[in-house]
Amino acid sequence: MAVRAIHTPLLLCTMALLLTGLVSPSTAGLSLDTVREFLTREEDTIVFSLIERAKYPLNRPAYAPLHFGAGAGAEPDRHLNASFAELFIRESEAVQSKAGRYQSLQEIPFFAYRVPFTLAPLYNFTRDLYPAAAFVNVNDAIWSMYFNELLPLLAKNGDDGNYAVTADADLACLQVLSRRINYGRYVAEVKFRGDQQTYTSLIQAKDRDALMKLLTSEAQEDVVKRRVEKKAIVFGQSITLDGPIQTDVNNSSQANFKVDPSVVYKLYDQWVIPLTKQVEVEYLLHRLD
Amino acid sequence: MDAAGGEQLSLAAVRDALVRLEDSVVFALIERARHPRNAPAYAPAAAGGGHSLVEFFAGHYQKPEDVPFFPQDLPLPLFPTKPSPKVLHPFASLVTVNDAIWKMYFDELLPLFTVDGDDGSYAQTVALDFACLQVLSQRIHIGKYVAEVKFKDAPQDYSRLIKAKDSNSLMDLLTFKAVEEKVKKRVEKKARTFGQNITLEDNATAGDSECKVDPKVLSKLYDQWVMPLTKDVEVEYLLRRLD
Repeated sequence: MAVRAIHTPLLLCTMALLLTGLVSPSTAGLSLDTVREFLTREEDTIVFSLIERAKYPLNRPAYAPLHFGAGAGAEPDRHLNASFAELFIRESEAVQSKAGRYQSLQEIPFFAYRVPFTLAPLYNFTRDLYPAAAFVNVNDAIWSMYFNELLPLLAKNGDDGNYAVTADADLACLQVLSRRINYGRYVAEVKFRGDQQTYTSLIQAKDRDALMKLLTSEAQEDVVKRRVEKKAIVFGQSITLDGPIQTDVNNSSQANFKVDPSVVYKLYDQWVIPLTKQVEVEYLLHRLD
Repeated sequence: MDAAGGEQLSLAAVRDALVRLEDSVVFALIERARHPRNAPAYAPAAAGGGHSLVEFFAGHYQKPEDVPFFPQDLPLPLFPTKPSPKVLHPFASLVTVNDAIWKMYFDELLPLFTVDGDDGSYAQTVALDFACLQVLSQRIHIGKYVAEVKFKDAPQDYSRLIKAKDSNSLMDLLTFKAVEEKVKKRVEKKARTFGQNITLEDNATAGDSECKVDPKVLSKLYDQWVMPLTKDVEVEYLLRRLD
């Protein structure tokens, strides 16, 4: 599994702060309850952002490698490897990076930026994560999953020319999916603290399978999947003044949903939950470094 | 919003867009309400050079289709978008009330639906503010399309008032109290539905206090600001329509 390192200055800064004792790894605030609360709230955000992306059609030209037209005497067919969407996202992340978005470690950008300083006011973030493991993330897999698997299921075929707002909507989806899935680091941290002995021996044995088993609760996963599907139904319905509020799918209402609830179920079942657990396992494997 | 390739602009299409945008407005407010006020993000010197973080973000605005908040700072689009059919009158289409929206959002609305406090996530907060501003701006400036459709429907009635520069009568002609009441109630219902805490148990109607955003804030937002500003846009558009 490929992991992408977040840019070094941020990591060095965090470690420097820890070493000087200015910021102490806080145990206050992080618990199984707060972790569950956070993940549950993220479900709403994920459903909202999928609904907003589904407003626009697929808009494939936004994802094609950019070509710069050849004028007279220019090199024929010069093109970047990046698409409009990628460039848009890189630019947006760079701006947000400068504004301090990635200071807290809760979010990890998809691209690395050389940001010498942040314009944001200083804030004393509690450092809940074990520093040597905090870098673990699956942003590469999320990026690939989003564009290659999810988007075709989410958006209708077509092209309305609104590439900028489309890419902006993609970014919102990517950011929340990344935050939710990479939150596995916090889940793993809480679980580790809750049973250090068991986890330590498995980590020392590098027993990925046993760790995965320990982290998996199918009953809980089932609850999550059904709840997020219900949210897709409730948030994605067309609300009229006189009409009823729907909370489940019935035949007559199928056509009216802004996003297919079964796609949201599948998203969690095939990608969000498995990828989150991958993050948890990888985080734990670095927890004793 | 632009009309799909070549189709005539219709009141139904415009109304559909307005209704769909209600959902977007509610989502955007719910997401912003997740964070407290985070006042340091709006402090003047936060971003250096005397600018707040909000203004820093605005300088990097990159949406050619929507009405930009700082037109003079707009960077060139990286990629030419598809030309949209020209349905609006070119001069009248330049109408903008973004200054009023900006002021309304930060001075009036934000205190109504965010709690006091500071969680340090300033960049995220400002990004969410921008999502709110953009969707509000989009909704309100659809007034231009509303005005265009109405003008085409009854050009003589409107022309008479436009030539007389009779803003008040134009405003009367554009106002339908019954429709506005429906909009307010519907957006309140949406806030109640989208802002509720969803569990797998059958949801008995939870109180509004458990709602992620107070439904009354949404109906006030539409009643006091969104609908009046939209009509301001319609009137301003019409006053330039014969130029």
